[in-house]
Amino acid sequence: MLEMRGITKRFPGVLANHRVDFTVNAGEVHTLLGENGAGKSTLMKILYGLYQADEGEIFLSGERVEIHSPTDAIAHNIGMIHQHFMLVETLTVAENVALGLPSNRGLRTDLDAVSERIEELAGRYGLAIDPGAVVWQLAVGQRQRVEIIKALYRDAQLLILDEPTAVLTPQEVDQLFVTLRQMTDDGRGLIFISHKLHEVLALSDRITVLRQGTITGQVPVEGATRESLALMMVGRQVKLAPDKPPVEIGEVALEIRGLSVMGDRGDKAVRGLNLEVHAGEILGIAGVSGNGQREMAQAIAGLRQATAGSIRIGGVETTNHTPADVRKNGLAYVTEGRLRDGAIADFSVSENILLIDHTDKRYLKRGLLDFKAIKEHSLRLVDEYAVKTPTIDTPAKNLSGGNIQKMILAREMSGTPTVLVASQPTRGVDIGAAEYIHKRLVQQRAENTAIMMISEDLDEVFALSDRIAVIYEGQIIGIVDRQTATREQIGLMMAGVRPE
Amino acid sequence: MSEFFTQAVLIAAVASGIRLAVPLLLASLGETYGQRSGVLNLGVDGIMLLGAFGGYYTVLKTDNVWLGLAMGIGVGVILGLVSAVISVTLKAEQGISGIGIYLFGLGMSDLLFQKLVGTPLPVGSFPKLDIPGLSDIPILGEMLFRHSIIVYVAFGLVPISMYIINRTTFGMNIRAVGENPEAADSLGVSVVRIRYLTVTIGGMMAGIAGAALAIDLGIFQQNLTNAQGFIAIALVYFGAWRPAGVMAGSLLYGFVNSVVLQFKTLGIIPRSWSDIAAMAPAIITILALVLVARRFRQPAALTKPFTRGT
Amino acid sequence: MKKRHVTWLALVLALMMVLVACGDSTDGTTAGTDAPDETTAPDETTAPDETTAPDDTAPSTDTTAASAEPFRIAIVAPSASNDLAFTQSIVDAVNVIKSEMGNVEVAVTDGTFIVEDAAAAIRGYASEGYDLVIAHGSQYGGSLQEIAPDFPDVSFAWGTAADTFGLDNVYSYEAASDEGGYVMGVMAAALSETGTIGIVGPIEVGDAKLYVDGFEAGAKAQDPGANVNINYTGSFSDVALASEAAQAHAAAGADVMSGTAQMVVGAVGVADEVGALWFGTQANQTSLAPSIVVASQVYHWEVILREIIANLNSGTMGGEIYTINLANGGEVIEFNPGYSLPDEVRQLADAAIAGIIDGSVSTGQ
Ligand SMILES: Nc1ncnc2c1ncn2[C@@H]1O[C@H](COP(=O)(O)OP(=O)(O)OP(=O)(O)O)[C@@H](O)[C@H]1O
Ligand SMILES: [Mg+2]
Repeated sequence: MLEMRGITKRFPGVLANHRVDFTVNAGEVHTLLGENGAGKSTLMKILYGLYQADEGEIFLSGERVEIHSPTDAIAHNIGMIHQHFMLVETLTVAENVALGLPSNRGLRTDLDAVSERIEELAGRYGLAIDPGAVVWQLAVGQRQRVEIIKALYRDAQLLILDEPTAVLTPQEVDQLFVTLRQMTDDGRGLIFISHKLHEVLALSDRITVLRQGTITGQVPVEGATRESLALMMVGRQVKLAPDKPPVEIGEVALEIRGLSVMGDRGDKAVRGLNLEVHAGEILGIAGVSGNGQREMAQAIAGLRQATAGSIRIGGVETTNHTPADVRKNGLAYVTEGRLRDGAIADFSVSENILLIDHTDKRYLKRGLLDFKAIKEHSLRLVDEYAVKTPTIDTPAKNLSGGNIQKMILAREMSGTPTVLVASQPTRGVDIGAAEYIHKRLVQQRAENTAIMMISEDLDEVFALSDRIAVIYEGQIIGIVDRQTATREQIGLMMAGVRPE
Repeated sequence: MSEFFTQAVLIAAVASGIRLAVPLLLASLGETYGQRSGVLNLGVDGIMLLGAFGGYYTVLKTDNVWLGLAMGIGVGVILGLVSAVISVTLKAEQGISGIGIYLFGLGMSDLLFQKLVGTPLPVGSFPKLDIPGLSDIPILGEMLFRHSIIVYVAFGLVPISMYIINRTTFGMNIRAVGENPEAADSLGVSVVRIRYLTVTIGGMMAGIAGAALAIDLGIFQQNLTNAQGFIAIALVYFGAWRPAGVMAGSLLYGFVNSVVLQFKTLGIIPRSWSDIAAMAPAIITILALVLVARRFRQPAALTKPFTRGT
Repeated sequence: MKKRHVTWLALVLALMMVLVACGDSTDGTTAGTDAPDETTAPDETTAPDETTAPDDTAPSTDTTAASAEPFRIAIVAPSASNDLAFTQSIVDAVNVIKSEMGNVEVAVTDGTFIVEDAAAAIRGYASEGYDLVIAHGSQYGGSLQEIAPDFPDVSFAWGTAADTFGLDNVYSYEAASDEGGYVMGVMAAALSETGTIGIVGPIEVGDAKLYVDGFEAGAKAQDPGANVNINYTGSFSDVALASEAAQAHAAAGADVMSGTAQMVVGAVGVADEVGALWFGTQANQTSLAPSIVVASQVYHWEVILREIIANLNSGTMGGEIYTINLANGGEVIEFNPGYSLPDEVRQLADAAIAGIIDGSVSTGQ
């Protein structure tokens, strides 16, 4: 149904797409695979009219089409789920869906009719949602459903899904796949983007690999394996689990006693949580997102008020200290929200890397910022963490999603903190980079840092942790040694079943 | 104090508060549209001044207040469009470019006044309209229903604006564009078109506000608005970007002013305090602003120009 | 980068317009009751090189020879030249001087309610070598004190004020506005049927305070039981507020009103609307409401300007404080011929004027 021919797109200093040919058949899932910055989102934005290709043509059902704007794309029944949510948080679900569509009541909105149709679609595709709910109140998984309903409502025959699973829990991913399968059964064509290879293998019919803007291979899903896909993407063998030399477990470096924290909606997100992390260990925090992980991490970092309890870092009380003060006491924090609270979108890469370090003596020369040292430092980190950026002066917002994450990691992991809290460290990061990040985490551990790694990815938790703690409704309901832990056991605990 | 509670004084205080609120209400309602869609127009006062002069001069020449009002609308629409070109198309820094419009309006209205009129001459005001039936209600009728027509127009625009913003597709688009223009754009809503419309509506309402002020006073003078346009912008924040809130703010400002005036007139506020008392409306409004507006978030895209990737 | 450019472009354009407006606006000073000749002002910084010399070669009078250089007077004043109030009074006066002397060049910078702008204009005129620079606003005192010593060859006049800072090139001038106010107050109390009189003032200082206090004293002298309500709005420029202050007076029962400073232009209209009488001051306000303005106290600063210029010609650059009053003719009560004032009230007014002049009546100041 879709054919993109010879698409080329240049950005200042970057060739994002180079003579890309790409097709989608009705009823199939065609996956685009590639490292961070390979040009996947760019190609899709061209298809959706958000970017204009420098060269190339697009055909739909054999006819050449010009897509200059999302309006054109929608008119051609193309829908897109963006890498970052495209929802108006202050509007209701129904309003978000109705946006841009004519009302059958002239100037007045027809939200009741829209709601009815939403319920109908939701019923058919298993996307339970309350059309009257305001989006900011919705959990991440529900927001993703709204995005899909938006596309279905416009009768998208060709649906682009740019990393739709990055923020979902494994259960939500399973649900989503059921819905997507139903859509292909209707004869719709889907384009799927993900860095999680098992998902790709589970969902795709065909897989195309992009590397540095160019197509480097296309395979049917039959016969493909995680290793073979990784090889195609990165061009070398990738270790999917890092080597972990034994390390002597040291003193308690992070001690949390009776911590309570409020959530965004005034609810009790963390309720009397107790936890200890020792120097030289990686404590994995498993749990379905929304069980207080984010609030706990923010409270540790001084970014959110603790209403009760205490936090000690390296034996020093830091409860409700300022973020700067907490940092001084040896905490490094990798946030899960990237552009929102991890980076400043309009600042350059090197400025973002410097954010926490502007009082660091290494970058000061007679009290002034030493730009040469900063530049060297930034260049080294960008290189080490393989942050793909044309220059270190490029604004962060122009980086691809995964590269923003890598930039933040580079900043937070470059020192030798006493405690490192890493929230979803490899979400949205390609497997090559994930491998590197895992290696770095293990290195930090060897340097005696106490690492708390919050992740929804059980593979990751099992691959890296020394101990696994499960968080449920704001409390740690159990801690298990990695050696003895099983997936079933952790899975049950994640669902709220307390171990005996 | 007891003098204040005579019927005549009470009625006068309320009626006066309402009159004082009208230009602020008109201007801040208009600015609400723009800000709701993400555009801050600091030029309101300049547009009001030119609307005021345009309205005044038209009435002076034609003796027809409706033509004067129409002139206010025309001037407002043109300057609204100019503001839109500057902030939406040229993407100028909204905190600064509006000041340019203000200075232009301030200078231009005075220049035109000096050139075309010179010595201030009084002109006719809007006719008073006693709402049949309602105006006969004791006390309340006199307070609320014996005003000049423009007063009813201004307050009538409040429910209309609420309806437009909350119940129409246009209003939904305004809210979406002010909150997340990328999302609106990705669904085919033209961010540029919506913002042009809202900023032009804002200009038009500022023009009406100015014309209403000048025509109701029956006079023009240099800097006639005395920065009311800036107060109107503050009231949009005070009103948490909602027409009803904006109305509450305008009325609060008007009433505090009128009560202070009555108190001074009756000597309840001693003469030695009158300069301090003159600051009361501003202080009370700022306090209310701090207390009320804190609870509401401003439109997320306010002052941020929108560019789609290329 | 590009964004910035656009912003600045917009700003610069707007500023240009405003400057043009300011520069030109003084051209408009041709309006006013005395229809003065053209005056042109420089903008605040540049030289007044394009200043028009009087082309209506008026019969030159006694002073310095007509063939000589023109006598150059500059005015810097806070509101518009035709505000029917404070600023207009000085502009009119200088134009009278001009028509008397003939060979006079006048420049006006008005609307400088921002003191820094006024200071720049004052310095500009001084450095241009104007013979007399009039800083017409008590708020300009501080600036003048700094500027005057730098220009010993230029004479400055500052009003309304009663202080020359001990500088010998500064004159100061004020109006005994309480005198006219007193006369108005007498008439107001005599005319009021309700016994309540309302006065609208800006801020309780200077000329306004003198006028209001004199008015109150006059009214009380005429009718000790009179109820004089005084409302200082707190602003020299808020026309809407002054109008509502007049409304408040009406609600309190006032049937006679007065007010001082330029923001009362709307209050006069309110008086008209509610059927109250009005007394004006600083300029003749009859044109604002021809049927209800009883009389206006008008300032004729030319009375003291004549003395200042005579002093200058004899080499005295400053150091003196002048006051206009009823006695020296600098203050005149102008009655509105369109209002038929009862004879007995007119007689009361004349008696008050005579009493103030001969000292038998005190205004309380
Ligand atoms: N608006 C833009 N301006 C400049 N460069 C851009 C812009 N958008 C993308 N790029 C660059 O184009 C390249 C491709 O980016 P793209 O977002 O398509 O990557 P991606 O394959 O989606 O990566 P990820 O997996 O991290 O999302 C990157 O190098 C990125 O920095
Ligand atoms: Mg991407």
